[in-house]
Amino acid sequence: MTTTAPDCIELRIPRRAEFVRVARMAACAIAAQLGFTYDLMKDIELAIGEACANAVEHVSHPSSDDILVRFTVEPTQLVVEVIDRGQGFDPAQQEGLDWALPGGLGLVVIDKVMDDLHVSCDPETGTCVRMIKYRTGG
Amino acid sequence: MSAQLKIVSRMEGADVAVLALAGEVDVANATQVREAGLKLISDGVKRLVIDLSETEYMDTSGLGTLVGLQKRIKESGGEILLAALQPRVMRPFEITGLTSVFKLYDDVGSAVKEARS
Repeated sequence: MTTTAPDCIELRIPRRAEFVRVARMAACAIAAQLGFTYDLMKDIELAIGEACANAVEHVSHPSSDDILVRFTVEPTQLVVEVIDRGQGFDPAQQEGLDWALPGGLGLVVIDKVMDDLHVSCDPETGTCVRMIKYRTGG
Repeated sequence: MSAQLKIVSRMEGADVAVLALAGEVDVANATQVREAGLKLISDGVKRLVIDLSETEYMDTSGLGTLVGLQKRIKESGGEILLAALQPRVMRPFEITGLTSVFKLYDDVGSAVKEARS
């Protein structure tokens, strides 16, 4: 029996707000390619947008110049990782319900629209938001 | 590279205005919405209808901006009314529970009628 390595698509964007849309557009294209319904495709877009926005807004680190968005296509699921080299953020220390909603609320949205969510923060490797969407019938 | 967003405002009476957001509201341009809303509030608008009939996408940056405008206009006794939310824009509102923060209307005309009453 042979096994095939999952397809992997990597996108590196500058850690600036105007490039978050590029990651969203890529997410839509990949989700459509995989046969996700329109509603699921837009959910995935929303999740990737929130993860990238968090990386832009709530991470401050001199070495964090870009964001890596990695899409891994597995037979039963799409795994998306949004990785930056920043030091992460503490939702409890974000602003209240004024001009910026807490970064944690973006994670609430991601948790709702994706099937699995894991956030890891490491001073050495940075922050990784790992999201999974199951491919129904995949 | 910024997300495509067209912001148009119009007065519907002495202290009623409509702010139409056509396109995508996200982390890259939410501040433009904030500035446009604050300008209307500083000009004396008490009841501000946000026309979302052509808003195709909104993330929590956009939600936060609308919550901030609501907070600001309430300080002067006014309120924000949201009109014609499309399903994809309604989604983050429902997930975060922010639908309870605003009065929602199916269409702009109904919201304006309520705002002018």
